[in-house]
Amino acid sequence: MSDVTAPGGKTGLLEFKPKPSMPPPVKTTGVIAWLRANLFGSWLDTFMTILGLYVLYVILSGVYHWGVETAVWQAETRRVCLDTSPYGACWAGVFVWFERFIYGRYPSEEIWRVNLSWVLFAAWMAPVWFPRVTYKVFIGLSAVLIYPFLAGYLYLGGERGWFMEVMVAVAIVSFIACWAHVLLCLVFNRNLGDTVIRLSGFSGRPETQHKYPLIVGGLLAVIVVMVAIQAWELPYMSTNKWGGMFLTLVISGIGIASALPIGIFAALGRRSKMPVIRVFTTVYIELFRSVPLITVLFMATTMFPLFLPEGMVFNKLASAIVAVCLFSGAYMAETVRGGLQAIPRGQYEASAALGHGYWQTMGLIVMPQALKLMIPNIVGSFIGLFKDTTLVAIIGLYDLLGMIEAVSQDPKWIGLHSEPLMAAALMYFVGCFAMSRYSMHLEKTLGQGDRR
Amino acid sequence: MDPAGNGRILPPRNIRNTECNGVDHVAAIEKGPNESSGGLAFLNDERFRSVFYQIVAFAVVAWVIYYLVSNTSNNLEARGMTAGLDFLWSTAGFSIVWSFLDYKPNDPYGWVYVVGMVNTLFVALIAIVLTTILGFVIGILRLSSNWLISALAGAYVEVLRNTPLLIQMLVWYLGVFAVLPRPKQSFYLFNLDFLPINNRGLYLPKGVADDLFWLTTVAIVIAIGLVIALNKWAINKQETTGEIIPTLWPTLGILFGLPAIVFIATGMPLSFDPPVLKGFNFRGGTSIPPAMCALLIALVVYHAAFAGEMVRAGIQSVSHGQTEAAYSLGLKPSWTMRLVIIPQAMRAIIPPMISLWMNVIKNSSLAVAIGYPDLVSVFMQTTLNQSGHAIEVVGLVMLFYMTCSLTISLCLNVYNRKIQLRER
Repeated sequence: MSDVTAPGGKTGLLEFKPKPSMPPPVKTTGVIAWLRANLFGSWLDTFMTILGLYVLYVILSGVYHWGVETAVWQAETRRVCLDTSPYGACWAGVFVWFERFIYGRYPSEEIWRVNLSWVLFAAWMAPVWFPRVTYKVFIGLSAVLIYPFLAGYLYLGGERGWFMEVMVAVAIVSFIACWAHVLLCLVFNRNLGDTVIRLSGFSGRPETQHKYPLIVGGLLAVIVVMVAIQAWELPYMSTNKWGGMFLTLVISGIGIASALPIGIFAALGRRSKMPVIRVFTTVYIELFRSVPLITVLFMATTMFPLFLPEGMVFNKLASAIVAVCLFSGAYMAETVRGGLQAIPRGQYEASAALGHGYWQTMGLIVMPQALKLMIPNIVGSFIGLFKDTTLVAIIGLYDLLGMIEAVSQDPKWIGLHSEPLMAAALMYFVGCFAMSRYSMHLEKTLGQGDRR
Repeated sequence: MDPAGNGRILPPRNIRNTECNGVDHVAAIEKGPNESSGGLAFLNDERFRSVFYQIVAFAVVAWVIYYLVSNTSNNLEARGMTAGLDFLWSTAGFSIVWSFLDYKPNDPYGWVYVVGMVNTLFVALIAIVLTTILGFVIGILRLSSNWLISALAGAYVEVLRNTPLLIQMLVWYLGVFAVLPRPKQSFYLFNLDFLPINNRGLYLPKGVADDLFWLTTVAIVIAIGLVIALNKWAINKQETTGEIIPTLWPTLGILFGLPAIVFIATGMPLSFDPPVLKGFNFRGGTSIPPAMCALLIALVVYHAAFAGEMVRAGIQSVSHGQTEAAYSLGLKPSWTMRLVIIPQAMRAIIPPMISLWMNVIKNSSLAVAIGYPDLVSVFMQTTLNQSGHAIEVVGLVMLFYMTCSLTISLCLNVYNRKIQLRER
């Protein structure tokens, strides 16, 4: 037995001796590993990467050479540009015309009106994104429905008829009321309605009487504002002075604001059980969806004058806006219908079981769900509409693209096309890209309830 | 149950035997509780309301149409015009820069309409084919495991999707094709001297068929027939026996080999008439005007971005479990792709792709901005301005687009019915 001795031990037990450790695995983290996994995984991958780098280099160096290296940033005329650098970009023209791109032919001393309207809109809509603010739907709706009258007056100016007199006053009152409400919410955590009721001493009365101080207060405020702005009048600016980005935003803004209501009603009509209504809305939707926007715009400019009674003149901008609204409404209708189809029958039945009628079912149960589902598509059609408004340049309106084309007619900058077009493309890209990213963000935050 | 007696319980409809004292009580009850106090209960009846709303809607629409028609006829009378399609037979008198069909200025307006439609369809069909191909390439590159490639494809999609097509088209036209040199200083595509490109457009050699060329054409038709038969046979064989017959190489062989053999055997009966610079311009060959080049490139590049997204979304919509299941059945990756993933992805790709084709046709109308003579340009602009027949012209143009759209949605419906999941 004594010969069974393990090496180095006399107990007869084998001593534990570890094997040499294995080499570490190929690095799976860090820069090298990332490059290997994503760019140089195989020979084909490596080839594609090099090809991609080459394409990138060609594009970027070309753009850099044309747009930066040999570009002319300051010049009096295009001639000077060409003399300085014949093959470089002539950004000087874009800078000189930039104000025209944004405001069209609106006179420089009146531009503050356009700027004011944009600031007002931003200020009106901003509370929708504030935390702790209640009644956001009302704020948003007032911005969409009442703000346009104020903005319209700011842009157009001139004498106000009785209708505009009232609407401008209503708009000013609602703006002030919105912000008063927002401040009350943020500072005291109260809302405007309760505060007004408390101050008027109606808080002790039964709830059915609570609406009286609100109505009286609102009417008083409107009357006070109407008296106060009686003497206020802006110089008249006819619509053919409107142009540039400003006009693009006016057309697409009205188009977007009206597309949703038109679309919702047309979609409900198309799903209605009443055959006559279904036929009419279907014909409307299919007619406008199957023809290109440009034909609708041509129809608006050539046929509307025939449709109207003699002596009534419809200006080109108004016809274009009507055409854009009809067109975008038809597209929106199909988007909304897609959302409605996704709502299961059980929702309608449950709503009916609660005793809701048709409009209550649609307004309280079905539409909120359908619209939430369709947000990406709705934003998608907004982006499409925003891009499509460029077509009004073809029928001779001076929107952003119209102004861009006007540059090349200017004797000083005659024939300058590419640089202004690039500038316009960049502006559109920023707008559309921002919208699409925001819609992705919305989709994520609104969909949080559905994720498990 | 109802001590106050306000509510009434309606008897079932089928019991109608309760006539006492000559009064139909059931009918009276069915009219509702308010019948005795005012008789307005029918306002709450859904059927009555529905009929009422429809009558109102019909009346409103009818009135609007009547109003528009009467205004229009008054206006036309005031301008001394008559409505009708007679003008289609009067001479147009203007020339068209480029047309697929033959056109002379003394042709009638009706022929202008046809020429415009064919020009639109011609450019749209080429654009549709190229868009689909480029879209598939972009979509597949977007899904590449190579980070750089997929990022580049993503950048392509985002940049082109988010800028207006009209601006892109003008950039291609005014920024690229309009600044090309005069014919004397032409560029040559790929340095081939039969592909000159200048500010008059792109020139291509024209094929001139000799006497026996028709045999090659017949050979091509036969080859296509053979290939279809071969593939059907192979699929049938696989479905019945499981044996897979490789068809790729035989297909290519028949498709190109048979016509080539016939072509050579008949003594190559095709000659080319290349464009040659003579004086200030090129003679011979056919030329594609710059506006058409710009229109085609803009349409293809813009819509391919959308098509790429559709292809990507379609492939991603096939759940990963399908791939895993195919692997566990022992299919190799290429077969998994071809037999499992792509057939299912197609179900999600084709319907939006078909509506994209419709968009290509519709957006080809932007040609009016760069002067390609499409339907809108020659008919809705020139003809309308010359003849003044706004309603008829707009109507005819819309009719064309609506026909296209209806045809395409018909195809879509047929396809959808064919591929519908048959759940057991």
